[in-house]
Amino acid sequence: MLSLLSYVANGALTGLLYALIAMSFVIIYRSARVFNFAQGEIVIVGAFLVWTFMSAFDLPVWVSVPLALLSSLLLGVLIERLILRPLVGEELFAFVMVTIGLLIFIRGVVLVAWGPEVRFFPAVLPMAAVKVGPLVFDRALVIGGAVTLVVAAAASWFFNRTQLGLEMTAVAEDHQIALSLGISVKRSIAVAWGISGLLSTLAAIIFLNGKGMTFLASDIGFAALPVALLAGLESIGGVVLGGLIVGIAVGLAAYFLDPIFHGGVAAVFPFVIMVIILLIRPTGLFGWKTIERI
Amino acid sequence: MTLPGGVHAETYQQDRALIRTRWQWLWFAGFVAVLLLLPFIGIGKAVGIATVVGITLIAVLGLQLTSGCAGQINMGQSAFMGVGAYATGALAANLHWSFLLTIPIGGISAAVFGAVFGLAALRIKGFYLALTTIAAQFIFTFAMLKLPKEWFGQSEGLRLDPAALGSFAFDTDNRIYYLVLAAAALMTYGAWGLMRSRTGRAFIAVRDNDNAAEVIGINVFYYKTLAFFIGAFYAGIAGALWAYYVRYVQADQFTLWLSVWYLGMLIVGGMGSILGAIIGTVVIRLLQELITVVGPQVADVLPALGGQFVFAAMNMLLGGLIIVFVIFEPRGLVHRWNIVKESYRIWPFPH
Repeated sequence: MLSLLSYVANGALTGLLYALIAMSFVIIYRSARVFNFAQGEIVIVGAFLVWTFMSAFDLPVWVSVPLALLSSLLLGVLIERLILRPLVGEELFAFVMVTIGLLIFIRGVVLVAWGPEVRFFPAVLPMAAVKVGPLVFDRALVIGGAVTLVVAAAASWFFNRTQLGLEMTAVAEDHQIALSLGISVKRSIAVAWGISGLLSTLAAIIFLNGKGMTFLASDIGFAALPVALLAGLESIGGVVLGGLIVGIAVGLAAYFLDPIFHGGVAAVFPFVIMVIILLIRPTGLFGWKTIERI
Repeated sequence: MTLPGGVHAETYQQDRALIRTRWQWLWFAGFVAVLLLLPFIGIGKAVGIATVVGITLIAVLGLQLTSGCAGQINMGQSAFMGVGAYATGALAANLHWSFLLTIPIGGISAAVFGAVFGLAALRIKGFYLALTTIAAQFIFTFAMLKLPKEWFGQSEGLRLDPAALGSFAFDTDNRIYYLVLAAAALMTYGAWGLMRSRTGRAFIAVRDNDNAAEVIGINVFYYKTLAFFIGAFYAGIAGALWAYYVRYVQADQFTLWLSVWYLGMLIVGGMGSILGAIIGTVVIRLLQELITVVGPQVADVLPALGGQFVFAAMNMLLGGLIIVFVIFEPRGLVHRWNIVKESYRIWPFPH
């Protein structure tokens, strides 16, 4: 019983981490109607940036983390400017392919720049485990969960209360109408990519804190897909709930099914959830548009 | 598309002909002769490379039919290939059936698996569909590693005897090359014919505008599922041949990355054209070989790049090519080739 509770609680925390990455998907999707398959790679670039500033350049935490956040923000803007903007108005397949191309390209660049060795990610956050009663948690995940909640609240506030955020929400609803209202769609998309890059690095810090990492850690980008889908691709607040649901479901699946399949269920179960969502309710819980179907 | 100078179809047979002029026959005969004689004239690894190109070509042709012609984005082609390879491998390794049976069965089982995931295409479109096929990839790997060991060998994989007809076994590189060549020729011919048939036209209609297609009386559900069925069948055949070529089947051979490579070949070659699939496969495969040969030498000269340089360069090449082609030439190399051909045919007039 106790271990069941621990599976559920840890699942929920992991789900919140996925929610943070899912949020970076959603922010880009809202503005640009582009689904960025390369998100996981951007997370890894963010992680390596933190590693470079802290371990290779030996800068203190309070310099290197902001530096890494800033560079990943710039990276997001740069990708938008160089690769996505020439494609405005193209059909969907072009966007799917170009983000996939980007995924592979960044992976190559990461390999050349940082190599395939296992690097030890610096412990930005405290390492000691958190004990709540009999349950034991990874402290980074606990802090991460709190960060996710704060970021989600801030993002909701930003998109619903501020001038720029409301403009971006308008862009999310319809590019043409937003344009005719005098809103700069290009700027909104660029801002979205920047924010998304920043969130990716934040997620990387929480995910990899004090662990060994290689370029393969980027798979977390795919693992966050079901969360974004369950939430509905337009909903910022929804990803928190989506993350919790997926995380707990995966925790339960691991608890009940791992003995049957001898492990490995946690890796595949999010995708089973994804197929089920896609078949039953492709708009997710809080998505706006009914998906076009025929 | 202009026909070659002086060619005017007077009968339906002439109008349908794939090869119209004496020179085209000559070129075609020469091309076939080169393919047939490759084991005798090829140097170094030529036969091995050609075998892999042939197998890849079959898988890419299938992807061309699903994604390029029918417009259903499919990122699970290598999982479908894996299903074919496992089905063939299990029948050949456990039950010792003849390859004449196991290869078609491999194709059919992949086709059924593909069609099941293609059924999702009835409800969702665009990149939502791409997500379903990505899920297919992960579920495939999980299933193959977890299903009973007597069936698929779990993480140890399956080991096959060479394909054999009576006492004649396809156990050397040259022999398996001819097997793959025959299969690739047959499958290419089939894809070419399919695109000229009613089914192919229906695929294009569904791709261009599925509402309009439905209105003019095309059963969109049927053709979308069929596109997945046929595309996955091609993948299954490719997987089956792969199983007999490597004689070892394991889930790690069929990754999401392989599917992405196949999509990259399509983009570079040109979407929606059989010739494009061929050009893309050959060009990318040869570039890969080039990097495998040149890469280690570069790494020797610049040791700072490290031993992983080949793999990294491969990724940068493919990713860069996809991005460049999507932005600058979304219709691929085959479009360039058509422009050259067209201007040759109507020379000296500009258009």
